[in-house]
Amino acid sequence: MPAPRAFSGEVGTGSPQKMRPTEKASNIDWEALSLRIVFGALTIVAMVFLVAPTVIVLLTSLTASESLRFPPPALSLRWYYALIDADQMQRAAWNSLVIAFWTTLISVVLGTGASLAIARSRARWLRAADLLFMSPLLLPALAFGFAALVYINRLGFSPNIPFLVLGHVIVCVPFILRTTVAALTQLDPALLDASQSLGASSWMTFRRVTLPLIAPGLGSGAFLAFMASFDNVPVSLFLADERTEVLPIHLWQQIDTNLDVRTAAASGLIIVFTLVLMVVTERMAGLTRQMR
Amino acid sequence: MTIRFNRRTMMGGAAAFGAALALPHVARAQAKTLVAATFPGTWNEADRNVISPAFKSATGAAVTQSIVLGTDQVARLTAAKGNKPPFDVAFFDTPQVLDAAKEGLIVEYPAAKSPNFGELIPKFQDKWGPKITMQVIGIGYNPKKISTPPKSWEELWEPKYKGRVGLTALNSQLGIAFLAELNRIKGGSETDFEPAFKALRELLPNVGAIAANLGAYATLWQQEQIDIAPYNFNFVQTLKAKDVPVEFTIPQTGAAGWETSLHLVANAQEPDLAVKYIDLHLDPKIQTQVMKPPYDVIPTSSKVTLEGAITNSLAKTHDDLAKVRGFDWEKLNPQRGALIERFNREIKV
Amino acid sequence: MKVKGDESPLALPLAAVFAAFFVAPLCVLVLLSLHGEAAMRTWTAASYVKFFTDSFNYSILWETLLLGVKATLVCLVFGYPIAWVCARSGARLQSIIVFLVIMPILTSVVVRTFAWIVILGRQGIINQVWLGLGATEPLRLLYTETGVIMVLAQVQMPLMVLPILTVMSKIDPNLADASRVLGAGEWRTLWRVTIPLSLPGVIAGCILTYTACITAFVTQTLIGGARLIYMPLHIYQQAVGANNWPFAAAISVIFMVAVLVIVGILGAIGRRSETFARA
Repeated sequence: MPAPRAFSGEVGTGSPQKMRPTEKASNIDWEALSLRIVFGALTIVAMVFLVAPTVIVLLTSLTASESLRFPPPALSLRWYYALIDADQMQRAAWNSLVIAFWTTLISVVLGTGASLAIARSRARWLRAADLLFMSPLLLPALAFGFAALVYINRLGFSPNIPFLVLGHVIVCVPFILRTTVAALTQLDPALLDASQSLGASSWMTFRRVTLPLIAPGLGSGAFLAFMASFDNVPVSLFLADERTEVLPIHLWQQIDTNLDVRTAAASGLIIVFTLVLMVVTERMAGLTRQMR
Repeated sequence: MTIRFNRRTMMGGAAAFGAALALPHVARAQAKTLVAATFPGTWNEADRNVISPAFKSATGAAVTQSIVLGTDQVARLTAAKGNKPPFDVAFFDTPQVLDAAKEGLIVEYPAAKSPNFGELIPKFQDKWGPKITMQVIGIGYNPKKISTPPKSWEELWEPKYKGRVGLTALNSQLGIAFLAELNRIKGGSETDFEPAFKALRELLPNVGAIAANLGAYATLWQQEQIDIAPYNFNFVQTLKAKDVPVEFTIPQTGAAGWETSLHLVANAQEPDLAVKYIDLHLDPKIQTQVMKPPYDVIPTSSKVTLEGAITNSLAKTHDDLAKVRGFDWEKLNPQRGALIERFNREIKV
Repeated sequence: MKVKGDESPLALPLAAVFAAFFVAPLCVLVLLSLHGEAAMRTWTAASYVKFFTDSFNYSILWETLLLGVKATLVCLVFGYPIAWVCARSGARLQSIIVFLVIMPILTSVVVRTFAWIVILGRQGIINQVWLGLGATEPLRLLYTETGVIMVLAQVQMPLMVLPILTVMSKIDPNLADASRVLGAGEWRTLWRVTIPLSLPGVIAGCILTYTACITAFVTQTLIGGARLIYMPLHIYQQAVGANNWPFAAAISVIFMVAVLVIVGILGAIGRRSETFARA
């Protein structure tokens, strides 16, 4: 087995600066420091880059003026109050919640079964099935949305909520599969053996042993699937129509059509809603641990 | 400190949530909703802020707005032909009416059920649907950067406006009308658009940005990313009300425009509500209200006298409005697809 | 004694749903693309010929693929250090960093892109700082490819960071220590030890980021404007704007095939890079 590359030819060929162990403790290790500074700086810039837009939307939504200027000239909650009258936006938000709920429910039920099969069985068709189930993450969702619309049309239907939920299930179930399969593979098989040798049926073992243990993984996956459905644009663009309007499309339409600061306020609410759900999932299921 | 994932609490929670989802569905079935199309910009705001509340107090029903451009409405109605249409009320500019009537997408307007129809100025009473307003295009400019109003379209090509000119994509009526007007000025005809595209190519160095849609266009003005561009009267007024620095002026070649109308869609789900909704747009009280800022909509009812910004920039009486030049949509419509494709090619970076 | 049942039938319900609602629509799409014009009477490859013979079309494909490369590189340059720092931090800091990293993915893409319109505009905050520093001309970022790359990088960065972090957390720290003891400096250790070992994660991150960037319809359109046309907008314009379904289907199929080819290549590189770690 070839040795790791780091060892090839390094010993004894460096200049004196590289002989660390005999250096005095007060000398600063510039070389190591330079790496840390560069990477640290890049990280800080990147983190600001990641977080800033969210913060800016929140601050912009608190503007007292009619325009989307940052920093806002004066602060006020008026645009949040304006949302109270935004009937259509509320209906769209409600539709999105309902659709996300059903999508998550169906994805959890179907996805848990599929995860068990993939994590445990050696059947060959499952390797191919695994790739198929994960492919919506890689293939352009817009193309799938369009294909789904054409398909429904050919079958003689027009877009409606059940089809929209089905479309969302396809693009959201990969999230559940990923975290649940990971959780299942970390499950100690000895526990399952113990349960079965004590006389429990497969279903009992699943309910009492497996499910509680994979619950954090499954919960995190369910949360990701819920948010993916709630925020989905490419599939909803084709499968949702005016009678079943969803929030991201409504916001998209608003941004497309006029300068409305209420869009910023709605965005602010979505951000807060997401943050709250994230904190809850972190507390209950250790979300950040599942993502690593 | 993690909360234990108790199966029972989870099931209980899920059941409660599910029940909550079922109930409002039942409750909401009582209150009816009408789905009506409207245009982006001035009209969707006028419909949302003025007409929808009036409709709600008159009928108790809510309105879901479908904010879609005229040509896209025709596309959606065509795709849904034979099935449930995506909306019950269509909002068209003159060109779309011809296509929609021919394809059987809209039905003749039941004027008998519409009390305010008879009070419209006669030329606005069309059998396919009442005309609710006129749109006029001209030059929009930023008064902070351009102190004297531009006098002609030619000024857009002047070197001093390099990078300051804006345009909008051809999917909107504003885009097509500008191209058609440009074509006319440069000596082209409805069958020959080369003069317009040649002029467009010459304009490109001056173009700062081309907006894909009217919302993005409005953002360009607000961010002062562009200073001079074709625009229509109503959109300018709506932006002015939001403190965006923009003014409207009609070039020396004269005003060009078209009419906008509402229609009852074939196979509508709520035809009676739809007619009531359309009729509300013809009500002199409503028309007077939307004639005021920030909408400044040109009224079509004989019972409404022109006032305000309309008389300042456009016309003092309805007879003046009759002088606004129209377009030959019968000849332009069939070319729309080809024009859009050609336009997209010419502007692509 | 182990009683192991065969769990594979448990995947059948999901497989059935996918067959009915994923595979079937894609097949219908391919069939649709084999029609000529919108009239859809004859079977022909005309739509594909039309795509490849018109430089307008294949230049859109090329620019889209190239856009993905540029945005992925930016994500890599900034994302790798985040993962590196995170892997070396304490548990609490790690949780915070991961939380902040995944927060953007979970916020609606419309909301995030909208924020960028406010930031990149002529009067946006970047230009305020730029002009404040003494520049005379504001930066043109909105409706330029640079702007699109910047926003894509922010929106998709989490997809790069998380896979790299996963792999980095599993790298045996003894290897880096050994490298240092033997006299290699930090940079050399990074180059010779850490990067090769984290390569599978980097490749996985690149695959996810790349595919997400090239299919990012909302970002490309809101920030790119009408003059920057990429594949998703082209599909949408043909499907909804021009109502030319067969051509839109052909573009979709070409796009999917292109993505599959690239993912296949990157995936193969990824599998080969795993041998570095195993050695």
